Amino acid sequence: MIYNGPTIVEGEFCDMLRKAQNDLLTQTGPGTPMGQMFRSYWMPALLAGELPENECPPVRVKLLSERLLAFRDTEGRYGLIDEFCAHRGVSLWFGRNEECGLRCPYHGWKYDVTGQCIEVPSEPEASGFAQTIKLKSYPLIERGGVLWTYMGAPDKQPPPPEWEFATVPRKQTFTTKRLQESNWLQAMEGGIDSSHVSFLHRGDLDSDPLFKGAKANQYNLSDSRPVFEVVESPGGLYIGARRNAENGNYYWRITQWVMPSFTMIAPRGNHAVHGHFWIPIDDENCWTWSFDYHPIRELTRAEVSAMREGKGIHAKYVPGTYRPLANKDNDYLMDREAQKAGRTFSGVQGIAMQDASLQESMGPIVDRTKENLVSTDNGIIMARHRLLRAVKALVEKGVLPPGVDPAHQKVRSAAIILPPDQPFKDGAREALIARPDVAPASV
Amino acid sequence: MQSESARMSSAAEARFRVQAPNSKPRVIKVIALDALSEDVVDRLAKASWNQATFFTAAAFAGAPRLEQRVSKEGWLRDLSGRTRDLIDEVDTADLVVMVATPGENVAVAAMIGEACSHKRVMTTALIVGATSASDETLSKTLAQVRPWSLMVVIANADDYIEDMLSALRA
Repeated sequence: MIYNGPTIVEGEFCDMLRKAQNDLLTQTGPGTPMGQMFRSYWMPALLAGELPENECPPVRVKLLSERLLAFRDTEGRYGLIDEFCAHRGVSLWFGRNEECGLRCPYHGWKYDVTGQCIEVPSEPEASGFAQTIKLKSYPLIERGGVLWTYMGAPDKQPPPPEWEFATVPRKQTFTTKRLQESNWLQAMEGGIDSSHVSFLHRGDLDSDPLFKGAKANQYNLSDSRPVFEVVESPGGLYIGARRNAENGNYYWRITQWVMPSFTMIAPRGNHAVHGHFWIPIDDENCWTWSFDYHPIRELTRAEVSAMREGKGIHAKYVPGTYRPLANKDNDYLMDREAQKAGRTFSGVQGIAMQDASLQESMGPIVDRTKENLVSTDNGIIMARHRLLRAVKALVEKGVLPPGVDPAHQKVRSAAIILPPDQPFKDGAREALIARPDVAPASV
Repeated sequence: MQSESARMSSAAEARFRVQAPNSKPRVIKVIALDALSEDVVDRLAKASWNQATFFTAAAFAGAPRLEQRVSKEGWLRDLSGRTRDLIDEVDTADLVVMVATPGENVAVAAMIGEACSHKRVMTTALIVGATSASDETLSKTLAQVRPWSLMVVIANADDYIEDMLSALRA
């Protein structure tokens, strides 16, 4: 495929993200620079529960504008292959998952988990014709209840993902995904836009079971004008929000952003720690992955129940789908009375859909030439700056982008109280690294 | 029936967004707090900007303590070396960006910050060249700029400033 889209021009960032730069960051299909960057990483593709047993039904998956099919064969091997049969272009979703392969129901061509055609019934076996047919495929591995894929060049495949939420024992972690009907970038930028929390989510700190009760909530509620600090990290950014605490100290909430689209929100009290991945489906839709975990204890039944019910950063679904129950077709179940009474700030219930409703309202791909960023948006500005820098280095010089190195993935967010003159990167140095059996820094 | 919200969120409807300008240019004053930052600001000033102007306060690094009653006249120089009145410059700004280098004396941040606070002008501190700075050095700089900055950015490379100013429509 020949890419005719935007390219990277030296020093070109201007005009509130020029259209060319906006296109460059938001387009992730095959052959695009940002698509090449996403294809450098292991990405969450499906929940392991979507392929619950050997020879279970295959699942259609669209990632980075490529239509794929995931299946689990007779021996438990996972495969992620081109959705369409090489013979006549039939969707293999209709296929029969049997005897270590997926058989097209049209003429019986059969493929294994690597996409290799292993049987063409109309051709003599001795002809070797089947061996000449191979569908594009990507590796698919299970880690932490998530099936991860790597869609880049095989010789550059990095080690498996090391995110802490995916490596702790299964009873300590819980992950969901939901469809977000917008480009990945505007969704991800919401995750590092710490200044919106004091407005959009202000009603939830004291009521949501996955947030309430932490001492830190008092700092949030008593100081609604935090001061922000943005610091470059090896994998992306630390975004610190500081509020006044006792004795002249500062209460810091430090969000981690690791390229290209991982964020981890500072914990509260002994609640689970949570965060997101935003993975492009195509240029106008993405998966919002939401995880909650605790590094040193199992999640309680009450916590898991609340997560399943769509509390915290999770969402309720339209039954049988991963589309949120509150979605754009029903105006996100807007409740003007709750908005007027202050029970919710926007009228939409739940943190996840409060974010998604506004991000989707921008349109499938927001026109960033019309935005008016302000000083508190420096986290977003810096993230774009780093993405552009990384994609340029990757495309022009083959430099692996930050976040591929497993060391960049062993990170934590932190909530911590520090003296007023201490850099949070220094004071929270240990707290920002994931260490087995060490409790998260939380207030 | 499909809701208004659903239609508004579609790619087809996004084409109908009003094309008229939605803001006026903002006036941004960029001030180097020390001699090393002055080089960065000097380089930035050579680019083309809408409403950004560039100054140095490096010559006033030995700023008086805050409790001392001093005039806020002077305290700035433009890049051609002329002394400028701090209050006048702040008074016409929408945002003041202070650029500092770890390890340098940036006590003048207090004087600028106080003027901004008095005029209710937003302040951002950019600390450049932090990669090679020790935590102790960075800490000293932070102690001087934090009380007067509503946003602090610690950047590894100074090319970030240009991107930031562009993003802010400077």
